[in-house]
Amino acid sequence: MGAFASLAPAYNMPATSRGDTLLNDTSAAQSRALNQFLASVELKAYKIAQAGLRHQDDALDAVQDAMLQLARAYANRPEAEWKPLFYRILENRIRDMQRRRTVRGRVMAWMPFRRDEDDDDADPIAQAPSHDLPPVARLELDEAMTALDAALQELPNRQRQAFLLRNLEGLDVAQTAQSMGCSEGSVKTHYFRALQALRLKLGDFEL
Amino acid sequence: MNAGEGGASQTTLLQSGLELRSRLVLDEGLSRIDAHTRSRLNQARQAAVAAAARPSWLARFHGALTRRMVMPATGAAAAVALVAVFMLNSGGHHLAAVTDNPANALDVLDLVTDDDAMHLMEDNDGSFYEWAAAQGDGAGQGVGQNAGEATT
Repeated sequence: MGAFASLAPAYNMPATSRGDTLLNDTSAAQSRALNQFLASVELKAYKIAQAGLRHQDDALDAVQDAMLQLARAYANRPEAEWKPLFYRILENRIRDMQRRRTVRGRVMAWMPFRRDEDDDDADPIAQAPSHDLPPVARLELDEAMTALDAALQELPNRQRQAFLLRNLEGLDVAQTAQSMGCSEGSVKTHYFRALQALRLKLGDFEL
Repeated sequence: MNAGEGGASQTTLLQSGLELRSRLVLDEGLSRIDAHTRSRLNQARQAAVAAAARPSWLARFHGALTRRMVMPATGAAAAVALVAVFMLNSGGHHLAAVTDNPANALDVLDLVTDDDAMHLMEDNDGSFYEWAAAQGDGAGQGVGQNAGEATT
C-alpha cells in the first residue's frame, strides 16, 4: 500500500495537471495581492481624482480606469511597482479627463440649452457622512475640510498632485516622482510651492 | 528648486504643522466617503481583479468583443433582417434578380452596409425600400421595353 501510495501521485497527477495547479495557485495569490493593493489605495485615489476633477462620477470613472489598466497591463510586475504605476496611470487619466472637459466646456458654452451636470449629483442621503462626531468637533472639521478643499482647488495641478501624493497617499519623494513622471527635484519644487501657497491661504490652519 | 530648498529649511516647523494638520483633515475626508461611493469603488476593484485573472488573450478577445464586435454584429443582424424582409415581400423573385445580376447584388450589399439605410430601417421606414425596389423593377422593365422598342 505504501509503494502504491508513493506511485499514485505520478499517475493521478500528471505533469500538466501539477503545472496547472501551480499556475492556478500563483494566479490566485496574484489576484489576492492585487485585490489587497487596490483596496488599500482606492479611497485615496478617489479623493485625489475628485480633487482634480471636482465631479463624483468622473472621479469614480478615473479610478476604475486606472484599476483596470493596472490589472490588465501591469499585474505581472513586482508588487513594489504597483503603487507608483497606479498613480501614474491615474494622473494621466485625470489629465485626459480635464482636457476633454475643457474642450467640452468650450463647445457647450455655445449651446443655448445646456444644463449644469453638477446639479444632478448632489444626493444628500448618498453623501451623508458614515460616522458620528460631537457637533462642535464635526463643525470644526467641516470648516477645516472645506477650507483645505478650496485651497487645494486653487493650486496648479502639479502642485496639488505633489501635495496629495505626499500627504494623502504618503508616497516618498522618489515614488511621487515616479507617479508624476518627473524628477525628484521637480517634486520637491512642486511640493514646496504647494505648501507655501496653502500656508498663505490657510494661515496656521488650526483645528 | 534652489529657492524652495532654502525656504524650506527656514520654515520647517510651520510646514510640518501644516502638513500634520492637512493629513489629519485629509484622513478625516477619507473616513467620510459615503457608502454608495465605497460600494462603487469595491465593484470597480472586483472588475479589475477579474480582468487581471483573465488570460491576456481572453482579455483582448473580451475587449474586442465588447468594444468592436457588438456594433458590427448588430449591424449584420439588421442586414440579414432587411434582406429577409425584401425576400418575403417580393415572394422570392428578388433572389433570382440579385443572384442573376451582380450589379443588383452590389446594390443590395451597398444598401445593407450603409449606416443611413440601417437608421432608416430602425425608424420603421421599410416602406421606402419597398417603394425603391418597386421603382427599380419598374425602371428595369421600362429600360427593357425602351430597348426592345429601339431594336424593333
